[in-house]
Amino acid sequence: MKFSLVIYGAPHASQSAASALRFARALLQQGHEIHRVFFYCDGVHNGSALSAPPQDETDLVAGWQSLQEQHRLDLVVCIAAAQRRGVLSESEALRLEKPAGNLAEGFELSGLGQLADAAARSDRLITFGA
Amino acid sequence: MAKRLLALCRQAPYGNALAREGLEAVLAAAAMDQAADLLFLGDGVFQLLDDQRAEAIEQKNLRRNLQALPIFGVETVHICERSLLERGIDAGQLQIPGAGLKLIADTSRFIAGYDSVLSF
Repeated sequence: MKFSLVIYGAPHASQSAASALRFARALLQQGHEIHRVFFYCDGVHNGSALSAPPQDETDLVAGWQSLQEQHRLDLVVCIAAAQRRGVLSESEALRLEKPAGNLAEGFELSGLGQLADAAARSDRLITFGA
Repeated sequence: MAKRLLALCRQAPYGNALAREGLEAVLAAAAMDQAADLLFLGDGVFQLLDDQRAEAIEQKNLRRNLQALPIFGVETVHICERSLLERGIDAGQLQIPGAGLKLIADTSRFIAGYDSVLSF
């Protein structure tokens, strides 16, 4: 079955982001397809290359990156939500005259249309709230 | 056949960014010809109250997003009847210019009629 995930929770703030990652792993293990993972609201912080959790805690950003690398996942961070919260690519940082970009490798910034597209193209759309 | 998409609006208008960002997602989907139906329930019904003075708390008024809905083809907005009752809100206090309001008594059956649900 083809799934898309929508994530509103920031990493290390609620269980939401961690559950989403574990759910994504379970889907892939069972042979399902993930059409897209869409990070929205505070969920955009999952795409920050600057998060640095203590060594004895799960590194969610690294978790997504390794899953992305293995399965070519489409990890989309909503650009409008990300700009508000300070998650910028190098080119966005340049365009908006901010000192640095911090979008983690493996993630891409895109518009809300990608969420509508995910809803239309997936058999199941699973939301992980804040 | 196109999938039937429903957006749930569950947050009070200014307590949580999800109220605004949910409406923005609905408008973006509508702009891509994937108009979602809307159901306001729980504290989300407060979004529809007339005469909000968001400037008093230095916020943008959510009204403008709501008023854009009919322009993007959302002609009817659904409201959970029980949520209104629980909060002492009369349906007459709610309005979106250009859109009809429809009270829903059996929300679970209503939601079950859709292929996909976005929850905000």
